[in-house]
Amino acid sequence: MPHTVGPAPELFTLDAVSFVVHDRVVLDDVSDHIHEGHATAIVGASGSGKTTLLRMLNRLEEPTSGVILFRGVPLPELDVRELRRRVGMVSQRSTMLTGRVDDEVRVGREELTDGDVDGLLEQVALGHIERERAPADLSGGEQQRLALARALAVGPEVLLLDEPTSALDQTAAASVDAVVGRLVDAGLSVVLVSHDLRRAAALTDDALVLDHGRLVDRGDPSDVTYLGGG
Amino acid sequence: MGSTTANIPSWFGVAASASLVLIAVAISWRERLGLGREVAIAAGRAFVQLAAVGALLLIVFERGGLPAAFGWLGLMVVTAGFVAGGRASGIPQARTHAWWGIGVAVAATMGLLLVLGVIDATPRVVIPVGGMVVSTAMVTSGLALQRTADVVRDQRASIEARLALGLSSRDAFLQPYRTAVRTALVPSVDTTKVVGLISLPGAMTGLILAGVDPWDAIRYQIVVMYMLLGAAFMSAVLSARLAQRSLFDDAERLVRW
Repeated sequence: MPHTVGPAPELFTLDAVSFVVHDRVVLDDVSDHIHEGHATAIVGASGSGKTTLLRMLNRLEEPTSGVILFRGVPLPELDVRELRRRVGMVSQRSTMLTGRVDDEVRVGREELTDGDVDGLLEQVALGHIERERAPADLSGGEQQRLALARALAVGPEVLLLDEPTSALDQTAAASVDAVVGRLVDAGLSVVLVSHDLRRAAALTDDALVLDHGRLVDRGDPSDVTYLGGG
Repeated sequence: MGSTTANIPSWFGVAASASLVLIAVAISWRERLGLGREVAIAAGRAFVQLAAVGALLLIVFERGGLPAAFGWLGLMVVTAGFVAGGRASGIPQARTHAWWGIGVAVAATMGLLLVLGVIDATPRVVIPVGGMVVSTAMVTSGLALQRTADVVRDQRASIEARLALGLSSRDAFLQPYRTAVRTALVPSVDTTKVVGLISLPGAMTGLILAGVDPWDAIRYQIVVMYMLLGAAFMSAVLSARLAQRSLFDDAERLVRW
């Protein structure tokens, strides 16, 4: 059942998704699609509900009403751990979970060989980093790229990125963007949350614009209207 | 067990020792500590509480038999659960976790000691020994729940990072759980290490005062220390494990506080 491919080419289908917490409407009746093989931006100011929407795609949050489908299957019908292995995530400030770079890559998949780990580190431009170094000692940009390798290690079909560069300086941000750009070029589906439409437009070819929990525009990142911050 | 002819203070002696409370009140008054009233009330309370407990124990020992003794233990467990569970703000059903943790630790510890014939199955033994087990289990259960709440607050991001990689809630919570349980148990282990070196523990002190030879008194104390260690580990681990289960929902999500 997990590998059912629906009739639609959509990766995710959002059907009247709302989220209310403590009487505050975070997402208000959002319906749309996120396509396979594309890099899709979800842009909006802080408080627009974009991070909540992203966290719903791997069930770290649950809609108050409405339903989200992954390849045509409602998320609650999929085994949640299987779903999370197929839908990888990298957050704004990645928390390093282990004491060694190679252990960090293996958190989600212990059985990786040294060669696998090397390959993943190469993929995120960290081939030069010594494997026994402590992830906590790496720079912010290196930590984010290591978090990417950690997520890729599990073999996801799509990568959710929550403002992965907003806590970084220009150079570090560019190094992360370069890695993400290469993954997108290689055909990996990506959903990128950002408050900065211009920055997101450089990496994505599709955009959903959220404003106070409502989906207000949808289309090519260079055409959509977004008056939010950043 | 032990002799009853030990040198126990008479009621006159108790009244005479109240002079020490007067000294404390006088010091408070002279140094303007503002504690005089509180000291007097505390001393009065201690008298009333102990008199009540003494009278109740007398009744239980003479009339109630073992059922009353176990009833007494049960009441202690209920009270201890309230105290321990109250320490863990944020953990759902913390009191229930504390009750189970303390209850199972007490039942297992006392059950083992009674079945093996290490202690006598009489109210005179079951109540004081059980009381020591309950209070130790209460402290470690409370600490374990409190530390669990702390690690969830501090490490929410790393727990969610592990969940997002497809780990089960049990695996994602393994490190925080171990940290919480270890910190909860350190005081128990340390107390066991230094027993006799820093202070003479209660059971041994009581036996020596009651006229028992020190060499006999330590045997009782060793049993007490070992049983408290076991009870501490059982109550900490069980309380923390139950807390962990209540912290995650069916979709392996960390609950929102």
